[in-house]
Amino acid sequence: MIRTKPKQPLFALAAATLVLTSVIAASAQQKTPPAPGAARPLNLPKITERKLSNGLTVVLAPLPNVPKVTTILTFRAAGTADDREKHPGIAQIAAGVANEGTDTRTSKQIKEELRSIGGSLGLGSDADSTSISASALSEFSTRMFALLSDVAQHASFPEAELKLAKENTIQRIHAGRADPGFLVGERFQKAVFGNHPYAFVVPDEKSINALSREDLKGFVATYYVPNIAHLIVVGDIDPEKTFAEIEKAFGSWKSGATPAEDNPPVPTRAKRQIYFVNRPGSIQSAIYIGNVSIPRKDKDYFSLRTADTILGGSFYSRLTRNIREDKGYTYSPFTASNTQATSGSYVAGAFVRNEVTGPTLLEIFYELDRMRVLPVTDEELKAAKEYSNGNFSIELASQSGLAGRINTIYTYNLSKDFISDFRAKIDALTPGDIEKAAAKYFDTYHAAIVIVGDWEKVKDQVTPFGEVTIYDAEGNVISK
Amino acid sequence: MSKLAMQLSRLLVALVTAALALSTIQAKPLNVPVVYYKLPNGLKVVISEDHVAPVVTVAVYYNVGFRVEPKGRTGFAHLFEHMMFQGSANVKKFEHAKFVEANGGNLNGHTDFDYTNYFETLPSNRVEMGLWLESDRMRSLDISAENLKNQQNVVSEEIRVNVLNQPYQLFEWIDLWENAFTNWNNSHNGYGDLAEVNAATIDDVRSFFKTYYAPNNAVLTIAGDVDVNEVKQMVEKHFARIPAQPSPPAPNLAEPPQTKEKKVAQTDKLANMPALATGYHLPAQNSPDFPAMALLVQILQGDDSSRWFQRLVKDKELTLDLSGGLNYFGNEFDYSGPMIMTTRATYKPGHTADEVVKEMDGVVAELVQKGVSDKELADAKVRFRSSLYNQVESSFGKAHLLSCLALFRDDPNQINHLLDPFDKVTADQIKAAARKYLVAENRTVIDRVPQAKEQKADAKGGN
Repeated sequence: MIRTKPKQPLFALAAATLVLTSVIAASAQQKTPPAPGAARPLNLPKITERKLSNGLTVVLAPLPNVPKVTTILTFRAAGTADDREKHPGIAQIAAGVANEGTDTRTSKQIKEELRSIGGSLGLGSDADSTSISASALSEFSTRMFALLSDVAQHASFPEAELKLAKENTIQRIHAGRADPGFLVGERFQKAVFGNHPYAFVVPDEKSINALSREDLKGFVATYYVPNIAHLIVVGDIDPEKTFAEIEKAFGSWKSGATPAEDNPPVPTRAKRQIYFVNRPGSIQSAIYIGNVSIPRKDKDYFSLRTADTILGGSFYSRLTRNIREDKGYTYSPFTASNTQATSGSYVAGAFVRNEVTGPTLLEIFYELDRMRVLPVTDEELKAAKEYSNGNFSIELASQSGLAGRINTIYTYNLSKDFISDFRAKIDALTPGDIEKAAAKYFDTYHAAIVIVGDWEKVKDQVTPFGEVTIYDAEGNVISK
Repeated sequence: MSKLAMQLSRLLVALVTAALALSTIQAKPLNVPVVYYKLPNGLKVVISEDHVAPVVTVAVYYNVGFRVEPKGRTGFAHLFEHMMFQGSANVKKFEHAKFVEANGGNLNGHTDFDYTNYFETLPSNRVEMGLWLESDRMRSLDISAENLKNQQNVVSEEIRVNVLNQPYQLFEWIDLWENAFTNWNNSHNGYGDLAEVNAATIDDVRSFFKTYYAPNNAVLTIAGDVDVNEVKQMVEKHFARIPAQPSPPAPNLAEPPQTKEKKVAQTDKLANMPALATGYHLPAQNSPDFPAMALLVQILQGDDSSRWFQRLVKDKELTLDLSGGLNYFGNEFDYSGPMIMTTRATYKPGHTADEVVKEMDGVVAELVQKGVSDKELADAKVRFRSSLYNQVESSFGKAHLLSCLALFRDDPNQINHLLDPFDKVTADQIKAAARKYLVAENRTVIDRVPQAKEQKADAKGGN
């Protein structure tokens, strides 16, 4: 079924005039795209892995494009079910306050040291892991490692800093509840993951206020340990010299008990359901449609990734061509495959004016279903492969891109050859692989449909698509 | 080994060690290769060859930003940018994206105060694809009413998603500029009023293209894993025959000096928390005060160690955050007209914008009185250098900076000496800049509070 129709310029005469004026100049104009030149060497980074005696895995990759160094230190555990139940949000708050003071440095001293070395240092946590990302001018790498090591080992959670961080986190979440992008993402996680830890987005006020300094110190003592961590170092480095600096900074760090594996059951969805977050006054509907997908390590990773590229993960994707370039419903439609340690989600989204909320739902379902039941063309698949391979090279050309990619390999325990094998895996995919992945994971029959908008304005367009539960911005159910 | 030889050898070791020690504390300078020339049709061409990774960025920068869009057509420069992806003589609607992505690349365009750019990053053996695509639309943009209507819809949704349906509605840009500037070219809303975006006609598009999208009003930059001589030939082949056009008239961007503080009160239907934005007019980029002012911006609000951040967020706990900088969209080098330093903060309920501004003023007064320490100044310079290196790390970032230096200064070779004037700044100059520019009569303040809060205040009789 082809829905798009060929276009005729309305002002044919005017358009013809323009073409005419450019004919003379255009006589030398090449009419067909130039052929590619000979393939250039890939220059894949030389990656070496070492281990400290305390168990810290160190991965070094020189990329001397600028005199800077970029690092990621990841703790491959962020909380067990027990911690999550007792202290929701503890990993996030710990990450937020760990760089606000150590046994020997105040918050201000940390920030001033960073300024002196042209550096940055930030922590982030999700349900699987906590990472500390840091960078600096390479001439100051020793000082950067010293600071990183201090924050990782000796975060002191000063009472005043913790109190301020708690207040500010509560207010920041309150401010965020005015933003449709935050609300649609939060409700989507909850809708898709149900009781799985991945459903968690931000803690509530009560949980935040309940956290004590002792809780946080206990948390980092358990989880910020070298034997479940890896340190990725990319940039203007000499691996031998840099490794010696790392040994000096991290060598005396004591290893800890390995936290218990936490493998919560993966949720499944029983039916298609609409989750509507009412935001009166909205002039757009923020729409996410999706479902549970796969863990990062799943064998379908490459086929789902490529199906995503074709459907909505690239600019010249089916979804963009349809609801942006043909219908003009939206500015930035997208699809994304988010995969983590134990599960993942698939999402198709668009922010559209109220008037086209229903038509957009229809088109997203149409595009998802089309992927499920019809094979992609050879041309589409070839383009998607080129897109993936080329952009993979572009990603690896930046320090943060390369560090992030290596971090993923170690966080999810992927093949150490992931980078060198990438092209071969992508190139081996067939239209059949894509169709199979789409049929399995673009499950529209059991999809979660999340919409943030003005219920009174769009309800008539929404109700035909399924049973609706309405929430307010705080997450309370208003009505079923 | 003779004694002499041994001594010499020791000396050498000592010298080498000294040199090594020196090199570890000395800043590593930038060394970006630059080839710069102009085609007879006036197109400025910059090529920067490096082989770090098998990628290349092809970028075209046009000397037209939203300051010069016509009156009654706010948002037009940006709408036009979208039209550049709607096809040309040999490339159908939106196929620009297809050609780039099917060749392993990515692409985008952006409209700014003083330029509009188009760029694609590709595997380096596809460089000619990028050149062909850019030349085809520079020479022969295909403009149809249907595509214009389509992109008016798309841009309208872009404005809704980024401005109108958002809390605060980008007031720290749109409203601040509308109030801080008096010359319409500088003050108007560059994202555009929805009605004006939708009023644009196909003749507007045609005339804008003819006036501004000519080779003599543009820079073409190629940065990455290419051979300079090969690329020169490709540039010649695809661009040399595109005819020049009469130079567009120079826009009047003159801004009369502000003499009185401007204060604006706003309410917000969507926000949950109050926020404020301030803007101070900056010295021109060629003013001797500019480098000191740029470093002063770092010292006041460059990062979490900065003076305003420490005072507002940490010491006084008045605001949740602090953001802003010297150029709302970019950096010190990628604009050319009048500019304000902007600051935005979400402040805490129970406090007022006046309290926040009073603390900001307190920080400035202290700085004017006591100056900055040598360490604080040295750190600001280090931070500045580090930011510049971040900027040139990617082939796109490098192409961006080279393009702007060619577009605004006709001298992309400056890229390797950009830090010089900033490195020379003294503590006295910082102090003098604070005294001269960070005064109330040079600023605009917008206080934006949630609507409900204002109603409550009204019920109590207001302040």
